[in-house]
Amino acid sequence: MRRRSLLAALCAATLAASGCSGGGDAPAGADPATTLRYAAVGAPAATTNDPHGRVGNEADYLRFAMLYDVLTVLDEQGVVQPRLAESWEPEDGDLTHWHVTLRRDAVFSDGAPVTADDVLFSLRRIQGKGAENNGRLSMFDLEASSARGDHELELVTRQPYAEVGAALASLTFVVPDGADDITEPVPGSGPFVLEEADDTTAVLTRNGDWWGPEGGADRLEITAMPDPAARAAAVASGQADVAGSVAPATAEQYAGGGEVEVVTRPGGVNYPLVMDLETEPFDDPAVREAVKLALDREALVDTVFLGYGEPGADLVAPSEPFAPSAEPIGRDLDRARELLEEAGHGDGVSLTLHATNSYPGMEEAAVLVSEQLAEAGIEARVEVGPPDTYWTEVWNVEPFYLNSLGGNGFVDFSRMALLADGPINETGWNDEEWDADFHTALATPDEGERHALLGDLQQRLADDGGYVVWGLGDGIDLTAPGVSGLPTGPGFHRLRIEQVEVSG
Amino acid sequence: MTRPTGAAPQGAAPRSPGAPLLGPLAALARACLLLVAVSAVVFAATSLLPGDAAELRATPGATPDQVRELREELGQEGPPWRLYADWAAGMLRGDPGTSLVNGRPVLDAVLQRLPATATLVGASLALAAPAMLLLGGWAGAARRGRGTATALLTGGAAVPVAVTASGLAALLSGVLGLVPAVSLLPPGEPPVRHPELLVLPVLSMALPTALFGGGLLAGAVADAASRPHVADARRRGRPLWAIAAVDVLPFLLAPFLRVLAVSAGGLIAAATVVETLFGYPGLGSLLVSSIASRDVPVIQAVAVSAAAVVLAGTALADAVAGGTDPRRRPW
Repeated sequence: MRRRSLLAALCAATLAASGCSGGGDAPAGADPATTLRYAAVGAPAATTNDPHGRVGNEADYLRFAMLYDVLTVLDEQGVVQPRLAESWEPEDGDLTHWHVTLRRDAVFSDGAPVTADDVLFSLRRIQGKGAENNGRLSMFDLEASSARGDHELELVTRQPYAEVGAALASLTFVVPDGADDITEPVPGSGPFVLEEADDTTAVLTRNGDWWGPEGGADRLEITAMPDPAARAAAVASGQADVAGSVAPATAEQYAGGGEVEVVTRPGGVNYPLVMDLETEPFDDPAVREAVKLALDREALVDTVFLGYGEPGADLVAPSEPFAPSAEPIGRDLDRARELLEEAGHGDGVSLTLHATNSYPGMEEAAVLVSEQLAEAGIEARVEVGPPDTYWTEVWNVEPFYLNSLGGNGFVDFSRMALLADGPINETGWNDEEWDADFHTALATPDEGERHALLGDLQQRLADDGGYVVWGLGDGIDLTAPGVSGLPTGPGFHRLRIEQVEVSG
Repeated sequence: MTRPTGAAPQGAAPRSPGAPLLGPLAALARACLLLVAVSAVVFAATSLLPGDAAELRATPGATPDQVRELREELGQEGPPWRLYADWAAGMLRGDPGTSLVNGRPVLDAVLQRLPATATLVGASLALAAPAMLLLGGWAGAARRGRGTATALLTGGAAVPVAVTASGLAALLSGVLGLVPAVSLLPPGEPPVRHPELLVLPVLSMALPTALFGGGLLAGAVADAASRPHVADARRRGRPLWAIAAVDVLPFLLAPFLRVLAVSAGGLIAAATVVETLFGYPGLGSLLVSSIASRDVPVIQAVAVSAAAVVLAGTALADAVAGGTDPRRRPW
């Protein structure tokens, strides 16, 4: 026994020293099954089995995306593609009644076929947990919606809603009808089935009955790790194949050759300045414009994202297919001072800029922003708050702070944060005309026309709104040698790892 | 055992060693009272933190009504004393409740992680115990327990665990590449099967413990070494190792056991830091993330079991020390 553990320690030491992958592989002599070990963002104690309520861990989302089918997905360009739903067509001219057809070959891991009843039950359950999931699916009137046979359903929206395909994307995990209390895992119909799990690591094996294309690893080991440096170290020392979301500094450490590869997802990180339009001095458009012009966006991107990113043009969702192609806002200190002068702040403005330190680079961003604003005569004192109270005490409360955006499409984000009565309208954006045009856009059946309208809405918000999107950082993942096909598209595209290959 | 038992006033805890039955009972009662006090303090401290589980679980756009509903759903609506009473009643039935974050039994979460932390604390104690005897002996022999040796030990023990751990990781993993920098346990496998993953966390915990224990024992060593029978043995030319083993060590047993018991408590506290740093799935990291999510039943269960371990250790050390103190033996 003693000799065995000594040997094990020696082996491990040698393996670690040579950079090879150590334990965790398939046992010798078994068939050459491939395992993808993914170290994902997540606090183990927050691990949950309920895909519809509050999900705090990316590790959980990753597991749900592999265990459950969703109705539609976004592709690498952000365009909606069918998944469990084969098609979604309006039944009438006013875009409030939608006919959704499900694929017929989807089955749950207990052998039961996936029916319209299961889908409707899941959608209602998601809507019912609105307090925990940002009011997801609130555009649907699910009481008025109904199943039409086993594989068809009619979805009713509260208002004309042309973007139903996008509304059904990504987080519509389908569970069996009647699964009310999901504290333990329930059958899913996704590309993988759960083999075993504790609160830190889940082991998934490929679902032979899945309807989708073959390919990718046979097994997945998803581990929740809160510390970004630990995730990177896990890949570097051969304990994991993928480290999700590491800091730019870590990426730089591995970028200069070596075996660990840096994979970037454009536009994955976004820390906009949030200005509350209902509070002084941000109620004055001149002040807002002065703030936007006072920033040296190139320098911010270089310092905060270490070059892994692009300067921003204040667009909240620049990766949408319909986003306007705007140039990043250049720095103009003279114009900024002039604007402040005109607004009656010739002798300066004093503000407090809030930030929190749980995101890589956010604190640095706040400090640099405050230095740059000072050059234009805006005195912004930085206050860094603890992460566990930031979202209750600063977010949507203070008039000036850094937010972390990403993952939501423009339409969803607008419903929540930009319509005058949106539940999380943190900037106090209240523009009747803008609201009316938003509803008009959603009632426009022609995609080209609708996209033009939505693009225009984004641009108007960028020009006059309270969000200063000074830059877009890349989401950065690390991969071990032999890993290929890691998704790099916008938002929740990164969860679609069922096709990721790993060579034994 | 020559003293009379005596009639202790009712309700008073008899401290005389002559009450062979009442002594352990009183100790048990004292331990239980302390446990209740610990649980009440932990409960009060968690209610003082800003926000509760319902508020942290609700998304920021949720209305106050929705948050209240959520709180009701979680069984967290009501005055704090009621919540505490409910929790205590559950504990008495042996049921620490369900997690407010994922609705699963707290007992499962604790039992799942207990072996990992027990392995860590056990291995650290096993490593630190002989080391602290040696260090204590060395420091006690030098300048009778005062002076630079003891100062070195105390100073070393005062270095925060996080610093020790990061330093060890940088050296053993970063520079020498001997062990992995993180301690991810493959799911469902006991930690003893992966000794290479235990090296960094155990060393990070054992090192400060050994220094701290050595510093505490130095005084006892100096005391024992100054006793007449040691001087006598020295005069008779007994070899140093024999003096240490036969004449000094028996006098160290009682303080040594007490230091070990206190160290166990320190190790549990250190585990919160070390486990979080190395991604090791034990009770310590569970506690840290449960505090972040205000998962009160989990916080309570972990804190009370840690307190129980320390109290049991101290009681055991007291009992053993009382029975083995050479000063009470006729020489």
